[in-house]
Amino acid sequence: MIEFQNVSLMYNQHRVLDEISFCMDFSEKIAILGGSGEGKTTILKLMLGLIHPDSGRILINNQDITVLPEPALRDLRIYFSIVFQEGALFDSLSVGENVAFYLRERGEFSESDIEKTVRTFLRKVGIEEAIDLMPEELSGGMQRRVAIARSLAAHQPKMMLYDEPTTGLDPITGDTICALMNELSAGAPQQRSGLAIVTHDVPAAASVAERFLYLRQGAIFFDGTLEALKNTDDPGLRKFIEDILI
Amino acid sequence: MTMRRLVEELQNFYLLSFRSTIGILHKPFYGKEMIGHMDYIGAGSFFIVFLVSLFIGMALSLQISTELASLGLKMYTGKIVGISIIREIGPVAIALSFAGRVGSGMASEIGAMVIGHQVDILRVYGIDPVKKLVTPRIVSAAIMLPVLTIIGDAVALFGGAYIVIFVSQESGSFYWSQIRAAMNFPNIISGIVKPFVFGYLIACISCYLGLSTKGGAIGLRRATTTAVVLSTIMIIISDFFMTQILFMILGMKA
Repeated sequence: MIEFQNVSLMYNQHRVLDEISFCMDFSEKIAILGGSGEGKTTILKLMLGLIHPDSGRILINNQDITVLPEPALRDLRIYFSIVFQEGALFDSLSVGENVAFYLRERGEFSESDIEKTVRTFLRKVGIEEAIDLMPEELSGGMQRRVAIARSLAAHQPKMMLYDEPTTGLDPITGDTICALMNELSAGAPQQRSGLAIVTHDVPAAASVAERFLYLRQGAIFFDGTLEALKNTDDPGLRKFIEDILI
Repeated sequence: MTMRRLVEELQNFYLLSFRSTIGILHKPFYGKEMIGHMDYIGAGSFFIVFLVSLFIGMALSLQISTELASLGLKMYTGKIVGISIIREIGPVAIALSFAGRVGSGMASEIGAMVIGHQVDILRVYGIDPVKKLVTPRIVSAAIMLPVLTIIGDAVALFGGAYIVIFVSQESGSFYWSQIRAAMNFPNIISGIVKPFVFGYLIACISCYLGLSTKGGAIGLRRATTTAVVLSTIMIIISDFFMTQILFMILGMKA
């Protein structure tokens, strides 16, 4: 269980999050929506303990991560894997080396095992043939698929976090990424690994998530299902989700 | 910048320097990364160090021999050139070129990794970014700058020899005998300890500013520029204090 309790955060004199509270299960499929600069990515970073709030508590399995030192946070981060916008691949490493990165860091596996694992996950995301390419030679969609393969090869997370996974992609590639996200979080609730997607691409969010949070002016303005989202009366929110109302 | 912010920044800088230095003592050691950085820092900087040193040696020799000629002491050019290059000008000039090339490179490389979230990825995987990114760079810089300085000093002395022999028309063997005399223990120690400290400082400052990068391209520009400016200032200031300390330790008198 992940729980945000009255979390606030200022950045450059600007209140990014203002006493937000919500909780979610690891198996949930949740979309965090909002305009640019509304603190969507910040929520993912707070969840991972990469940044700390100015006030409030963030509980992961009832443990307040805002007071934990970095080594203790590392033990909690294994619940998650994150795919950042643009993939965040290591430029100096090939696709295969990127996927193998964490396995090599651990130093517990033979090169043949690493090669097998890398190929398995690259096949799973549909780009095994790109194993020897460098990140700069890949399209945006391919970079994100490599990032997903790298996350999966590192460990089996309880929840996948996606930061703007379809932003900047053409609709077909965006659909492929959404299908991949659905495939990775498939299964009955409580048994599957969940996902949290941060995006302003509402159709993409609607195709993968079951619960929707909408941030406005640093606060959670809406929290509910897709049906409830579509039935909202708020003109601002209706304008934001107009792509799925048509 | 407020006083409180300045104190916080200094505190964070010292903490990073301390953590990255003690990172040398425990696993993982990242030997492969260290060798890669040494290659980039050392072999990659060779040409610029060669050029800078050669022309500094020649310019210094020309200036000194001209001044000494008016006193009828032109034959002693080698002594002054040797001491100046080995003790002072060699380490400082090479460290300044090193700060421009390597310091800016470190700050921009790490800064780009911060902006591109690669540093976040390391943290998510439980990998300490300081140990992985900073420690190998600090070790490489602290080892390679003294090596480059020794090479640069030699090149500068050859540049000086060229001027003494072919422009001032003085004896080459007398020049080299004075250079040999200048290569005593205190001068050599001074010429190696300084670049070691400079390399360490440049790497610490540049990596700290790289890791502190905020914002996009403007943040990266700021980090890179500040890394070079601060490294340059710190080289000059620390050179003065190190000279004083080395004078005391090595029993030299002003």
